[in-house]
Amino acid sequence: MDYFLHVAVLICFYTLLAQSLDLVAGKTGMVSLAHAGFYGIGAYTTALLTVLFGTSFWFSLPLSVIVAGVFASVVVAFAWRTVDDYFIMCTLGAQIIIYSLMNNWIKFTQGPIGISGIAKLKFPFWMPKSSLSFVLISIALVLLIWTLLRNLSRSGFGKTLMAISEDEVYAQSIGKSVYSSKVVAFTLSAMIAAIHGALFARYMGLVDPSSFTINDSIFILSIVIIGGMGNLMGSFLASVFMITVPELLRFLGLPQNLAANMRQIVFGAILIGVMMRGGKGITEFFRSNSRALR
Amino acid sequence: MMQLIVNISILFSITTLVGIACFLRYSTTKFFDLSQASTISLAAYFTYAFNIGLRLPLLIAIMMGILCSTAIAIGAELIVYRHMRRKEFPPFASLIASLGLYTVVQNSISLFFGDDAKTLRSADVEVGHMIAGAYITNSQIATLVVSLTTFLAVLLILQRSTLGKRIRAISDNRQLSDIYGINSSSLILVAIGMAALLAGIAGILISLDVDMSPTFGFNYYLGGVIAMIISGAGNYRGLIIGSALLTTAQHLAAFFMDTKWMAAVAFFILILFLIWRPRGVGGQRLKKVEV
Repeated sequence: MDYFLHVAVLICFYTLLAQSLDLVAGKTGMVSLAHAGFYGIGAYTTALLTVLFGTSFWFSLPLSVIVAGVFASVVVAFAWRTVDDYFIMCTLGAQIIIYSLMNNWIKFTQGPIGISGIAKLKFPFWMPKSSLSFVLISIALVLLIWTLLRNLSRSGFGKTLMAISEDEVYAQSIGKSVYSSKVVAFTLSAMIAAIHGALFARYMGLVDPSSFTINDSIFILSIVIIGGMGNLMGSFLASVFMITVPELLRFLGLPQNLAANMRQIVFGAILIGVMMRGGKGITEFFRSNSRALR
Repeated sequence: MMQLIVNISILFSITTLVGIACFLRYSTTKFFDLSQASTISLAAYFTYAFNIGLRLPLLIAIMMGILCSTAIAIGAELIVYRHMRRKEFPPFASLIASLGLYTVVQNSISLFFGDDAKTLRSADVEVGHMIAGAYITNSQIATLVVSLTTFLAVLLILQRSTLGKRIRAISDNRQLSDIYGINSSSLILVAIGMAALLAGIAGILISLDVDMSPTFGFNYYLGGVIAMIISGAGNYRGLIIGSALLTTAQHLAAFFMDTKWMAAVAFFILILFLIWRPRGVGGQRLKKVEV
């Protein structure tokens, strides 16, 4: 039972990450490969605060979000000018610099060993001992962020972001500030990722750099792409798909390390397939097929 | 001090080689092909399979290795990228597809060969020659000689031959050269083949010098790309300057801090260039929105 609950928590986590990345990659057209880095910053900030100063979750959560936001705004302040593939290279650079800080700044982050012994989540009136209560918290959080992002994309700000993704120069010419919209969207997306990072640190009890590599960034991006760009429901369905399929592979009796490689190969192949079809995700695939059936 | 210069020049020659490969690929098809990173690793691992697995002589194994990895790069173009280019998808779509391809190849390598470090060297520790106060091994001398000759050969082909002129024509303006009757599809194949050849040579040279793991190609590929971007993605002289700047900075960082910061320093330089010299040292304009 605990195993299924763990899978459910993972699905919630990745839905949160994918939906926050979708705000920049899907809505604004800024495909970022630094998302794992930002959620890593959130996780590390919480871990360090908890272990070094013993702060409570409700104090470390906003601090983690702020730290990730500061990092993200610095990155986007440098990278906002570049578009398309150059922007991807810039965020790739940010990801590698963040990872290298986590892995190599041994005095501060303890390097590859990571930080362990992070206290589990505590509430004033209620102590979530079982995994079930953690699942409930994650689901509540996902619903909250989902509603927030949906309302955001329907608001004027969301419309501006879509205008930027369609035609940046035109959006600027009708008086929309491309610079500030991009900075706000990118920072907000990193901040939401950091919420997840803080929860992740408290859920796992330890953080180490291997959870925040470039491969994880690629994984999150492929969830967004497979779900269909700019589609919150698609991000959710794709994370269900991407988390449960490898777990099924495990039941087939493949050895652990083989299964990990097979999983990556399958995802890589799906990514190529989706891009060859013009970036239409699974939801769109089913929609067009059901239309064809009618 | 001499040792530092030797180290810089070895990394410089590898980075320049990879840089030309990236440049050939980028200038003809206008997107960063991350699967070139897997070509670097693949060539080395194929050579390893032929040399250690099938016990072929090293030279034949190297040729077979380069041949196989080039064939895979050309196959990817024929199956994936050509289709995407015909449909006129934006460049980042091809980049993401190449990311998928990189994931597939890199994980296939670790599936077949395992994640542990492999080496093509015959002896455990190679004792270098002492030249002017610096140690340099045989494989490092080979790296310098081979990359210099390859570099000159590619330069000669691109600047003097008709083939080179045609490749430069399609990288300048593909539609116009199509009008003049240059077959851009087959020329792009040639350019990709050349790029894969160069990347493969670089990969094998690296693996002769240091241990290899399935992901080792990525860092060298990024070095090449950064050298290309800061050179302004325009000409070969710029590429040499860019590559020299980058590798010197990386090795100075390694000398004064630690070797583990080399990747971070490379991207730090890229960001500095994007802010203060967006045209690169070569002078051509980077792709960005002008408002």
